Amino acid sequence: MDAAIHLKDIVPAAQNNITTMFILLEKSRIKIKGESKTCMALVADETAAVHLELWGEDCDAFEAGDIIRLEKGIFSNSGDGNKMNLKAGRRGRIKKMGEFTMAFVETPNMSELQWVVDPNNPKKYIQLAVLSPHSRVFPPLP
Amino acid sequence: MEVAFWSGRSDDLGYLNQEYTELNHALLYGVLTVPQFAKIHIKHLHGIVSDGYALFVSLALRVVLELYNKLVDSVKQQLIWVVHEIVGVSGVGFDGLLVGLLRHTVGCDYTDRGLWLCFELINLFLANFTSLLEEEPSVLTSALYVYLRLLADHCRVSGNVRVDLLKKLEIEFCVKMLRGQFHLSMKIGRDLVRLLQDLVHVPEFRCIWKDLVLDATTFRTEGFSDVAQLYSTRTSSRYFLLRVTPEMELQLRFLLVHVKFSHLKRYQMWFAKKFLFEPERETLIVDMIRFICCAHHPSNEIIHSDSVPRWAIIGWLLSCCRKKYVEANAKLALFYDWLFFDERMDNIMNIEPAMLLMVCSMPQYVGMTQSLLEFLLLLVDNYDQVRSYTIAKGVSLAFNSLVTEGVNSLDTLTSCDALSPFLKERLKKLLSSTNETLPHQLYPGRLSHCSADASPLETPSSHPKHEPAGA
Repeated sequence: MDAAIHLKDIVPAAQNNITTMFILLEKSRIKIKGESKTCMALVADETAAVHLELWGEDCDAFEAGDIIRLEKGIFSNSGDGNKMNLKAGRRGRIKKMGEFTMAFVETPNMSELQWVVDPNNPKKYIQLAVLSPHSRVFPPLP
Repeated sequence: MEVAFWSGRSDDLGYLNQEYTELNHALLYGVLTVPQFAKIHIKHLHGIVSDGYALFVSLALRVVLELYNKLVDSVKQQLIWVVHEIVGVSGVGFDGLLVGLLRHTVGCDYTDRGLWLCFELINLFLANFTSLLEEEPSVLTSALYVYLRLLADHCRVSGNVRVDLLKKLEIEFCVKMLRGQFHLSMKIGRDLVRLLQDLVHVPEFRCIWKDLVLDATTFRTEGFSDVAQLYSTRTSSRYFLLRVTPEMELQLRFLLVHVKFSHLKRYQMWFAKKFLFEPERETLIVDMIRFICCAHHPSNEIIHSDSVPRWAIIGWLLSCCRKKYVEANAKLALFYDWLFFDERMDNIMNIEPAMLLMVCSMPQYVGMTQSLLEFLLLLVDNYDQVRSYTIAKGVSLAFNSLVTEGVNSLDTLTSCDALSPFLKERLKKLLSSTNETLPHQLYPGRLSHCSADASPLETPSSHPKHEPAGA
């Protein structure tokens, strides 16, 4: 089992290399695209938040307040626009570990950072700018 | 095995310990998951046991505390079956197992599953009454606390045949305890009165209540002659733990230790959705408030951090009450230890949340302060008119201790412009009539800047000592 990393340390990459734990804060409405279901979720740990894409049955299986472990997940371009989202992908695993008892922060949000390819290393991404301190899809509660 | 176990060679001992542990694990797993072989597995357990069942009981207890809600129905049934077996042989620690199961009963849960557990346990207590009385009478006292509280909910339901049947058994058990074993019942302390009072509309309890307040000698219990003796006995926090499920306890403690004010909202939503969502569930708030006041005492480190303070969670819970009688019971739960406060045996940490809630609500929610103070003064006059002096004294001493310990100054209340002059006058009168020696070294303005969005509470460094939670 890979060691879990904090959300503040995730970096976009074209490989399933992210194992991490977080709590699910909010879920968007489920979208049905042909055969497949998908939805977006705001997840966070005590260091950062990020947007998580859920697919298929996972969309219904997880609820706000669930503590979740993601193994071999991928943090990459979502396809629409240039936003980086976390997902399990075909090779990752996502599993409920508990409920409620995890601290979190909503800022920074790793999906609201602008990432660019490192000029010194074309295989790596680096943070360029903060687009928004917190999620614009799931604004913080008043 | 016995011989080898005691052979004294440590490697043998280690090896056998491990084998013994694994056997216990396997037998418990077998009993719970393969019902048709359960009797054989239990026979094997009786054959190998060398520790009075202590290990087996501790494993079963972990299942009860950590897994109960996740178990499928057949496993729950097996669990009850094996608990009967363990009680039958008085396995070491069986009382803890019963207490663990009692904690999973939820008064306002009228689902088949919820009622099933209440049924199974009341049957167990009635069937084993005599042996429990001899072996572990304190577990009967715990069961009495639980079932009196469950009855308060169950007696508000009408027209449900299953609940009616259950009520009958619950009443039978409680009456048996109160009439036959009052010396065990009174071990609950003052909260026994609180629970009974909620049941006075039930004929069986109306008689008991009358005897208790009018002629306590009918209980023929040595050394007990007046209900005031119950008033003066603080209820141990272990009883309050009985009325929050292990999961509620975990989440409430997490809220009060790890959650900062700024992140509270999402946790509140999740907590309410899980535990208070259905309308009948709001009676749980009363138990939660008793738990927070008396069984969760934060360390000084937490008090001075930016964690959510107890008064804020209680204020939120009070605001979740929809029904008038629940709100009244919740306020009574909050102030209960004030009414009989005696600094020699009471803990100031139990009364602190009510005071801070009144004071810290003033800047933004003066309505809360007003309604709490009104309720407290109403209690002084009406809770027990025969013993109203005792209660006035208790409340006055409670204020007094809070001031002496520096939790707050009375000026904050008595000089608040937004509070009704009538209330302030009555408060002053209460304090002067019952206590001539009220200390004058108040702390003017100590908490005057405290607002409901809670800058860390300015509690003094000599914060009152607290008993460890669960003591």
